[in-house]
Amino acid sequence: MSSTDLSESPAPEPPPPLAWQTVIADTLTAGRVTVAAYVPDTRLQPILARLADNGICLRSLTREEECVGYAAGQRIAGQRPVVLMQNSGLGNALNAIGSLAVPYRLGLPLVVSMRGTLGEANPSQVPVGRAANSLLGTLGIQSFSVRSAAAAEQVTAGVMTLAFEAGECAAVILEPELGGGREGN
Amino acid sequence: MKATDVALTILDACSGALCVSSLGTATSALRAASDDGPHFYLGGAMGSALAAAMGVAEAVPDRLVIALLGDGELLMGASTLWSVSAYRPRNLIAVVLSDGVYGITGGQHLSAQPQFAAVAGALGGITGARVGSEAALRTALHELSRPCLIEAELSERAWPGPSPFVDPAQVRAAFAANVAGGTR
Repeated sequence: MSSTDLSESPAPEPPPPLAWQTVIADTLTAGRVTVAAYVPDTRLQPILARLADNGICLRSLTREEECVGYAAGQRIAGQRPVVLMQNSGLGNALNAIGSLAVPYRLGLPLVVSMRGTLGEANPSQVPVGRAANSLLGTLGIQSFSVRSAAAAEQVTAGVMTLAFEAGECAAVILEPELGGGREGN
Repeated sequence: MKATDVALTILDACSGALCVSSLGTATSALRAASDDGPHFYLGGAMGSALAAAMGVAEAVPDRLVIALLGDGELLMGASTLWSVSAYRPRNLIAVVLSDGVYGITGGQHLSAQPQFAAVAGALGGITGARVGSEAALRTALHELSRPCLIEAELSERAWPGPSPFVDPAQVRAAFAANVAGGTR
């Protein structure tokens, strides 16, 4: 059976990046991230495109739990992965985080794009959005909100230090105030 | 074949490979066969072992990486087969312990025959095979183009022996040393 060779990492077609998206991608790059595992999301797309431009390997995987498993394999082998997901995927990822990344102390930096909170119009997004920080906290994972481009570098760098130096999973929370969603704000 | 026979054949045929085992029977079998060798034993996270092995494979492209998986485990994380098809790590072999039951949860039957080898063969870039003997497994390990998936039919469902409840800190340290080339 013939198939298209997808072994390279194609960069997604990005909308024009917002400042915070560029800062986060460049901070991850400066922090020597080696690979970004993700499930696609509108607000993450410009970050991923910038990472690809910066020469970072991208891995678009099928679900967030798989991203954490993949990143755990990278981490235990000495690499510096980052996992990017929408918060609704956090529910998908909880078992891999709680039963693999946390007990094995495979510190992973997570970048979580929030829905279901301020300004959410879709009722189905609200419960997990409301619970996201609590879910992380219950597993002992600290999360740090970014609400402005000015905070993006410090928070992203700090989360990488927690993950790669202290061996603790930690999360950058991309709050709605940043904009960049499909609503075009 | 028993699960431990599969693990012993893998270790003998693929000396020096980095192994990743899923929770339960696979981890117990790999511990038994390798005398607690420096492998990545998962004690939980059902459904994530193939993804973890793919991460290891891409992180260490100059080493052969073998995922030893339960069939219930792979059924839960089957979508990773599509990711393996997408990115095609040439150093990755998945071996499925195929006995049609969820082992550590009490031997309940899977609801359907997974047909993993056929599924893998239907995807681009993965070779699939089903084997019923150690000799056939050895041949498949040596000859299939990679990445590949080998369904190893178990004829006997014997618990391998060692506990599947591993110490994550010990596993991480030993495996990291193995990756660095310091152990074997």
